[in-house]
Amino acid sequence: MKQIQIFKTDNPRLFLFYPIFFLLFCALIAGLAWRQIIQKESFESQEVLQSMRRILNPGTRGNIYDRNGKLLVGNRPVFSAVAYLGALKDDLRKEYYTCVKLAKQKHSKIDFNAVRKEARLNVLQRHLDTINSIIGRNEKIKLKDLERHFSQRLLLPFPLIQDLSPEEYARLTEQIPVDAPIQLFTDSARYYPYGPAAAHVLGYVGTTLNIPEDGVPGKELTTFSLRGKVGKAGMEAFFDEKLQGTSGGDVWKVDPVGYQFQHVAHKAASQGAPIITSIDIDLQLTAEKALGDHTGAVVVLDVNTGEVLTMVSHPTYDLNELTPFIPQATYEAINDKGAWLNRATQGLYPPGSPFKLITTIAGMKANLIDEHTITDCKGKHYVGNRAFHCDRRSGHGLLNVEESIAKSCNILFYQTSLDIGNMALAEQAREFGLGEPTGIEIPFESSHTLVPDSDWKQNKQLGKWMPGDTTNMSIGQGYLLSTPLQMACFMASLARGETRTYPTLIHAPENHTQSSRQKSSPIGLSQEQYQMLLNGMEKATLEGTARRATLSNVRIASKTGTSQAWYQGKRRNIAWHAGFAPADNPTIAIVVMVEETEDDNNYGGGRTTSPIAKKVLRKALLSKTSS
Amino acid sequence: MGKSSVHARPLVLLGCLLLIWWFVPPFIKSFVQVNFFELQAPAWSAASHLKDLQLYWSLRNHSQQELIEAGRDLARLNSAYELSRQKEAALNKEIEHLEKMLNLPPLPNYNYEVARVTRRDINQWWQQLVIRKGKDHGIIEGAPVVYAGGVVGRIQKVFKNTAIVELISSPNFRIAASFEGDRRPVIYQGVGTPAFSNPRGIIHNVPPDYTTESTPKRLVTSRLGGTFPEGLVLGQVDELKARSDGLFQEGKVSLPQNLMSLSEVAILIPLDEDVDTTI
Repeated sequence: MKQIQIFKTDNPRLFLFYPIFFLLFCALIAGLAWRQIIQKESFESQEVLQSMRRILNPGTRGNIYDRNGKLLVGNRPVFSAVAYLGALKDDLRKEYYTCVKLAKQKHSKIDFNAVRKEARLNVLQRHLDTINSIIGRNEKIKLKDLERHFSQRLLLPFPLIQDLSPEEYARLTEQIPVDAPIQLFTDSARYYPYGPAAAHVLGYVGTTLNIPEDGVPGKELTTFSLRGKVGKAGMEAFFDEKLQGTSGGDVWKVDPVGYQFQHVAHKAASQGAPIITSIDIDLQLTAEKALGDHTGAVVVLDVNTGEVLTMVSHPTYDLNELTPFIPQATYEAINDKGAWLNRATQGLYPPGSPFKLITTIAGMKANLIDEHTITDCKGKHYVGNRAFHCDRRSGHGLLNVEESIAKSCNILFYQTSLDIGNMALAEQAREFGLGEPTGIEIPFESSHTLVPDSDWKQNKQLGKWMPGDTTNMSIGQGYLLSTPLQMACFMASLARGETRTYPTLIHAPENHTQSSRQKSSPIGLSQEQYQMLLNGMEKATLEGTARRATLSNVRIASKTGTSQAWYQGKRRNIAWHAGFAPADNPTIAIVVMVEETEDDNNYGGGRTTSPIAKKVLRKALLSKTSS
Repeated sequence: MGKSSVHARPLVLLGCLLLIWWFVPPFIKSFVQVNFFELQAPAWSAASHLKDLQLYWSLRNHSQQELIEAGRDLARLNSAYELSRQKEAALNKEIEHLEKMLNLPPLPNYNYEVARVTRRDINQWWQQLVIRKGKDHGIIEGAPVVYAGGVVGRIQKVFKNTAIVELISSPNFRIAASFEGDRRPVIYQGVGTPAFSNPRGIIHNVPPDYTTESTPKRLVTSRLGGTFPEGLVLGQVDELKARSDGLFQEGKVSLPQNLMSLSEVAILIPLDEDVDTTI
């Protein structure tokens, strides 16, 4: 009874504790309120961050079509069998305990990490064996891949077999239960129906984990990305942003280990925009075939719009071999044959005799060449005490301007260039866009093309500019470097009587009004002078060096050339054919360039490139007529 | 006090039963679970026989005139079927000849077993039929089930004298299919049949260049899946829609309406198990 009285509420000794307890209780309530009300949002976001994960999947890339709507680059499905690790949780746990039990029976000391790895491998291999038995394969899981997946990409499905054929896919679809942890996964890979055709123009893609978020919810969450594709070369690279689809994604609630637990949100990925190129695939195929095994390039432009109808660079490679990834052996094989180089936009060559047309124009503008100009070709021309030879060592005899162009006699151009001087010649070449990139929609276009002059030579510390440099330059030799595309642009400009053509790989027929056609400064020649130039080029086709490019019923303006370049210590001929057709109403400009690769090739413009140009021109003109 | 104990008695009993069940050895539990269906089967089978008997007596009430008309229709049908049978025999011979010429492995051949439907178990989650034939009649799991209008489904489980057929409208039913006249595989999956509506399915992975060209296309089975023979009708695809990823199209499949009221089906049993069906 006395003990009970100790707890009497009016015991004065207790009064001391009331405020203490009250204060502690208040502190508790305040703490609770702080956590539940003030810090609510912070905890909520922390909970979300800890328990939610996001998976980004890339959108399919847009298709690329030729100017007539034929598919050049599309997407093909890539089927794979994958294991959803979240659905295998129980299997993995059971297998782990079984492995531990077995290990205990065998050893006194257990390496739990090794046992865990073994259990994972056993479970996944068992499922893979089921698939193997259905489709008749004998695939094995690599422990290294599996462990990397568990440590870095746990939320994503583990790929068991990645390259199922449509038949295998069909069989598995039917024989794997709908709700099994093993499921079929469809990804996309680039597909090139024409294989190696226009490979350098179209380009190829590589893989990336850097996928744009594109409004997929859960920006703050830990994010896993499926592999996307990124353009590495050609139009695939230049128009990468446009071709990239919009990313999709899923947000998952995960369990404490990180396995998928509950699907929270989904956004579907969508395909990128299509591109219609200016390429005419039928003409491209004709040009590819005509160029054959030669190392070189063919460029065909629409004179009026600057659209690239064909761009061939050989040797080439089959784009389908580079997708979904580039095998090392394929990479090396392409590298060994020098096929990575797009010779049309990256190959640097002395332009040879087609450059004589620029010398002629410069001479005409300086009133040094007119219809009365006659040159006596004796096979060589002395500059100082150095002899500069003509192609025909015995000499052409007396030639007027048209004949000089048609027969590609050097003497007129030597004399003219010396009279007008190097700077005027260089100026004229630059007016036509030589020496600077054309700006075509392909990355890595060479910026090292060169129109040399005395200042350049001095800056490069190559000595004083000599008259011999000018004569070399007048026939497209010496330090001059240009790409086949630049020469094609020059031909298109010449065909229109203008100075610049800006080539494009985009076909936009809605823009082809009179006002939006290629337009630049006039060439600056009188009608008579221009006609003289054309007559020379036509004569070259009819009876001159380009006669192997003659087509019946079509007037063709051409200029062939054979320049020399040094490659790995050996002098190699570079054969050229440049021209446009029909000469009276030009629509097509063409440049064919072929490199010598062997000592016994003996290539020459008229011999080697004109027959190729003839085949391509015939097809191009037929296409134009039919369209 | 006595009254409340009376009220509590069923709960106590239930608790006791659950406790006993808890302590029952696992092998007994497993045996009961497996054989639960077998225990029910005789009752369903008997009910089905009774129904057949009922149908028989109702048919007996038909007039002579009706029987004559039905007999005439049947004779016409028989002659049409006979013609088809002869055509099929000729085609089979040609196939055999071509197989020999091209040195191709023979296509898997099937025997068929006709079975009466005893029960339909159709709801949102599963769509099944119970048929009156089982292991004793050579029925095997996974065997295709067909009827005159095309595919019914696939054998899901087999018991002694009964078997469960998973209907093609079931969400768990997925097979490789193709459009009639086009051998590229597409994926068919059931989607369940909501109340008072026709059975439907969906197709995935239809190549993007395929069009229904304003007329519905028949969807048929593909041999590629390894279960069904080629060319059995699944349903009709009315409309295809391009998927946002541009890789494939997908569409809805209308299944035959009488799928839910079948009274008899045929089970296709592979004749030669040694036939190589691997790809």
